[in-house]
Amino acid sequence: MYEMDLLDNTENVNRLLARYGVKFGIYKNNTFKEQLFPFDAIPRVIRREEFDYLEKGLKQRVVALNLFLDDIYHGKKIVKDRVIPEDFIFASSGYMPECESVTPVKKIYSHISGIDLVKGKNEKWYILEDNLRVPSGASYPMIARELCRRSSPKTFRDNPLEDNRNYAQLLRRTLDNVNVGGHTVILTPGRYNAAYFEHSYLAEKTGSHLVNGSELIVENDKLYYVDYKGKRERVGAVYRRISDEYLDPMHFNPESVIGIPHIFDVYRKGNIALLNAPGNGIADDKGIYYFVPKMIRYYLGEEPVLSNAPTYLPFYEEDMAYVLAHFDELVLKDVAEAGGYGVVFGSNMTTQQKADFIALLKKEPRRFIAQEVIDFQDLDIQDNDTVVARKADLRAFVLMAQEPYVWKSGLTRFSRNPDSFIVNSSQGGGFKDTWVLSH
Amino acid sequence: MGIISLEQTNRLYWLGRYSERVYTTIRLYSKCYDDMIDDIGENYSDFCMMLEIPNIYKDKDDFNQRYGFDETDPNSILSNLMRAYDNAIVLREEIGSETLSYIQLAIYAINKAKISRAPLLELQNVQDNILAFWGIADDFIESETIRNIIRTGKRVERIDLYARLKIGARELKSELCRMHVRLAGSGMPYNQNCLDFLNDAIGQMDVTETVDYGSIVRNIESLVKI
Repeated sequence: MYEMDLLDNTENVNRLLARYGVKFGIYKNNTFKEQLFPFDAIPRVIRREEFDYLEKGLKQRVVALNLFLDDIYHGKKIVKDRVIPEDFIFASSGYMPECESVTPVKKIYSHISGIDLVKGKNEKWYILEDNLRVPSGASYPMIARELCRRSSPKTFRDNPLEDNRNYAQLLRRTLDNVNVGGHTVILTPGRYNAAYFEHSYLAEKTGSHLVNGSELIVENDKLYYVDYKGKRERVGAVYRRISDEYLDPMHFNPESVIGIPHIFDVYRKGNIALLNAPGNGIADDKGIYYFVPKMIRYYLGEEPVLSNAPTYLPFYEEDMAYVLAHFDELVLKDVAEAGGYGVVFGSNMTTQQKADFIALLKKEPRRFIAQEVIDFQDLDIQDNDTVVARKADLRAFVLMAQEPYVWKSGLTRFSRNPDSFIVNSSQGGGFKDTWVLSH
Repeated sequence: MGIISLEQTNRLYWLGRYSERVYTTIRLYSKCYDDMIDDIGENYSDFCMMLEIPNIYKDKDDFNQRYGFDETDPNSILSNLMRAYDNAIVLREEIGSETLSYIQLAIYAINKAKISRAPLLELQNVQDNILAFWGIADDFIESETIRNIIRTGKRVERIDLYARLKIGARELKSELCRMHVRLAGSGMPYNQNCLDFLNDAIGQMDVTETVDYGSIVRNIESLVKI
């Protein structure tokens, strides 16, 4: 598989990526900078039967998470039945009381889910994280595939792959499925957002309008896009790429200048589809992650196909005792953080840091989870003229229209630092294409 | 897609203006740079005066470097290209990745020119990319309104620069005529008094000896109301 003409064309691919401005934004020393997202041409390859297994598990997980969201904002049966302690719901920063009794169009909460997985050296896949708010990253493998094919047609003639360039159509279908009538827009916080390339690229490829908050207004409980002559046109679906708290200054953060006043009222009345639904943060809370296998059993009556990384909740006395006894073997994660931040490895701490952290852990046990450090597989990457092994994860995308659909690709991110498990672009990581073999 | 917001209109218009500013000022800069190879006076002073930009340059070498490539100089060619990019980057879904890529390529070229011992060679690539940008914009952008807004910006900027440079009647008339068509098709609100003035002033240029170029600049600057 590695005898690929493509590898001789890495420079061409990177040149094309630069030409099309495939970048992400980053703030360093309070200054915004756009950086090219380093691309490695050696793909992650997923065999057909392996993908079938992942697909089954991912669909199962996302369906259960949707049922959980509907339950939490309505009957709360899962709490009443003591499957999940209420402390983990109501104390979570992702839980939004404003969403109580609000039902999104077609009861779909997580239309676009980004599920992070790693493959252990034992060949087993583990779920690391669910991202149900504004998961990003699909645009990168999408455009990379296009440019790789242009640089090395032979590689793609010689290898039987699923075509991943259909993501825009899948996304459009997902948006249209819940559109209540009117334009479809992608709401961006603006050019200085880390994922702005993705916002604009997906708008172009799905034929949606890319808008910022100032271009939309609410009138008579409906949302309108205002053109330069002042003419109003109804909006039926908003793929919002801004966080819940900035979405509507009348309901959430009053200081938000990137949101749309009263959009939440329009949503609550069913006059707009918001993708993903506000309030989803409760389901991708790192503390709730622990309970997802239980959710699958509870809502679907099935055994989970995909496993979580072994996780402990210091909230439980028994787990706290385990965490303290095995501190050096665990990775600890702050449930409120994302993007690779708030992650610490017990083995990397000094004695003083450890003592300070344990004191904090005892004071705020709900704030952290602890996980076994999975010895996940390295992937080969090109490093000048050599090939080296680096840690890598996979973000799989599940789109929920009439049925859940797992995109036959994904974003493979890798660490460029040989000693690091952190693969996030904001922390210097790069990306690869993800090949799913068609047979 | 059929609907364009006020902000997008503004950005499309200024994308047209800045891309034209880069294109025409490179032509002027190249001529000036070439003259200074032969040490024919300190031509950059006249250049600054014509364009009504402050002469902040110590000598011709300082001018060659800073006017061309100093990002902190708001009048430099590089700054103007970055302003074109700032507008283009937020219009990807309107103009398309392919169109946008030529502005990106122009930036790579000007950054090469900045460190080159023969900057005019790389600036030629900047011009080529701007020309390709305009060509592909006309070819790829489906919306006639969007094409007209960009082109209106381009024509307004060209008339503005040509008036500052006191370029003759034939060129100005030609530019005004081309702008009329684009302005009408852009749907942008404009100041009819300014347009009437421009029609009269430029229309009579070949029958009058005194041309008030300053008024042409003021009226073209106030023409579009966005």
